[in-house]
Amino acid sequence: MDEQKTALQRLGSRFTAILLAIAAVLVVLEFIFHRHGEVAAEDFPLFPALFGFLAFLFIVQVGKWLRVMIMRDEDYYDD
Amino acid sequence: MMINPMISFDIASWPPGLMMILAAFAVPWIPHVARQIWMLAAIALSAWGLSSGAGVHAVWQVMGLELVLYRADNLTFPFALIFHIAAALNVIYSWHDRKWSEHMASLSYAGAAIAAVHAGDLITLFIWWEATAITSVFLILAAGTDRAQRAAMRYLLFQVLSGVLLLAGAAVIASHSGEIGFGKMAFDGPDALGVWLVFIAFGIKAAFPFLNGWLQDAYPEATATGTVALSAFTTKLAIYALARGFAGTDMLIWIGAAMTALPVFFAVIENDLRRVLAFSLNNQLGFMVVAVGIGSELALNGAVAHAFVHILYKALLFMSMGAVLHQVGTIKASALGGLYRQMPFTMVCCIIGAMSISAFPLFSGFVAKSLTMSALGDTGIVWAYLVLLFASAGVLEHSGIKIPYFAFFAHPSGHQTGEAPIGMRVAMGIAALLCVGIGVFPAPLYAILPYAVDYHPYDVSHVTGQLQLLIFAMLAFIFLIRMKWYPPEIPSVVLNSDWFYRWLAPRVGRPLLGAVMGVWAVFLRMLVWYRDMGWAVLDRVMHAPISGPTVPGRAVMVQALLLSLLLVLGYLLLG
Repeated sequence: MDEQKTALQRLGSRFTAILLAIAAVLVVLEFIFHRHGEVAAEDFPLFPALFGFLAFLFIVQVGKWLRVMIMRDEDYYDD
Repeated sequence: MMINPMISFDIASWPPGLMMILAAFAVPWIPHVARQIWMLAAIALSAWGLSSGAGVHAVWQVMGLELVLYRADNLTFPFALIFHIAAALNVIYSWHDRKWSEHMASLSYAGAAIAAVHAGDLITLFIWWEATAITSVFLILAAGTDRAQRAAMRYLLFQVLSGVLLLAGAAVIASHSGEIGFGKMAFDGPDALGVWLVFIAFGIKAAFPFLNGWLQDAYPEATATGTVALSAFTTKLAIYALARGFAGTDMLIWIGAAMTALPVFFAVIENDLRRVLAFSLNNQLGFMVVAVGIGSELALNGAVAHAFVHILYKALLFMSMGAVLHQVGTIKASALGGLYRQMPFTMVCCIIGAMSISAFPLFSGFVAKSLTMSALGDTGIVWAYLVLLFASAGVLEHSGIKIPYFAFFAHPSGHQTGEAPIGMRVAMGIAALLCVGIGVFPAPLYAILPYAVDYHPYDVSHVTGQLQLLIFAMLAFIFLIRMKWYPPEIPSVVLNSDWFYRWLAPRVGRPLLGAVMGVWAVFLRMLVWYRDMGWAVLDRVMHAPISGPTVPGRAVMVQALLLSLLLVLGYLLLG
């Protein structure tokens, strides 16, 4: 188990490094090419990146709140 | 050309799908492996019927109605094609299953859905609409648990309700105009009531908000193979029906936007990974409903393209989770993790499905969703565009990351297992190849869409914009995991709109029913009391008449009374 756990952690670190590299490239590209979106707001520099990042945090946060309201034990419906 | 199908032996003019339903009746009597080949042959023969091309190929005059059994056009063809592919994938995926019952249900279910797509009138549509309900319920029952049985009954209730509403709507429409043809419908007109009934019937099967409980309730209770079949047909049949009847209905933009956004939050906290996929299915339907609501040529192309690729990647995701369920025996996120070493092939296929549904460039979701997003951008409805963009991040969260992460990575769960049976792997492989193939070469898909396409998804703006959204959302996930802020998986149930009839209705309904039945019982007792009183009075009169002889029996007395009444009436009427 422990060996598996470290293997997973190593995998995670590598994956993070790759993602950060891609993100850096995307940020550079954003200022080289002229990107224009479907709606005006999207033309704002790095709009999709910020939108994606914040939307993700928002979704997870709302999910956490929802847990208080609509999460029940597995046998809640008793069936 | 109109051909009476009762005398025609030309299979190409048979309604597609019918061949599969007929072939399904032979399934119980065919031994195992031969059965799979038989089913593939039936699907191929049914698909051959599509070669008749556009037009009306079979009409049946019955009881003064003109039933259009086989109508084909640009809208039916993409749905028919993908339904046949999905049916074939199901047969391959369930190759290992030696029991005939599920195969029979699955083949006839796919056949009914295909036949429904080719229905040219509301009555024929109703017949196949109900047939999909009745055949598909066996896929849930096949799980064999009490839980599944109860979920199956709730599922059937909703599906049949949808059918009844469709029939009622058709009856109202027919009574006004005498027309039962299935085409574009308008809410303003003498048929308004009928059109609304049909709209709600479609809305149930398309899992509109608050009508969606059956989907998340029942689909995850079916067998590992059954859920794959379920995910393909019913809901996409509803999307087809909406595209046929209600393209350009503004209301659908609202409804669809709500469908894309709301399930996202439920999916975050759901523990059953196949139920997460059911929420995700609901979210994907939202994109298609929005596209239908926009109604422009580009948007309808988007709806159809999305339905087409969605069936593939959603089936792929359900197949990979079915493979995990088949191998490990559970699909709870809280009990899974670390399977990437034991099931590497399934993991790769799952990730391809995940990247397709998240609409990564070079995967099928991207080339389809871009159409809808562009069409929505053209309308200038910015709020809806931003909701869909938000929902796109949501798709990445639950289908793109949560599914593969908790099944194959996260933390080691200690399960000792291996790869799924060969049939499952072949089906997943084919679906994965199609997902990547369509993503890299979208031209063949674009060629079969309802309207001519001049659209190029691969330009700098689309690709970098979409990549920014996805990559930075993934960084948000990593950020949350590193900070240990991501909510842990907890064995639990998440309340959804089925709560109203699974929890509230029994608790409010039973006392209410008890009260109504109590009042009814009192009423009945009163009736009995009055009756007994009546007879008692009659007996008193018979045994102690004021004058004349006593009457020998109640019957004679009643007859005498009735005759007197007749006499009085006769006098009144004649006089």
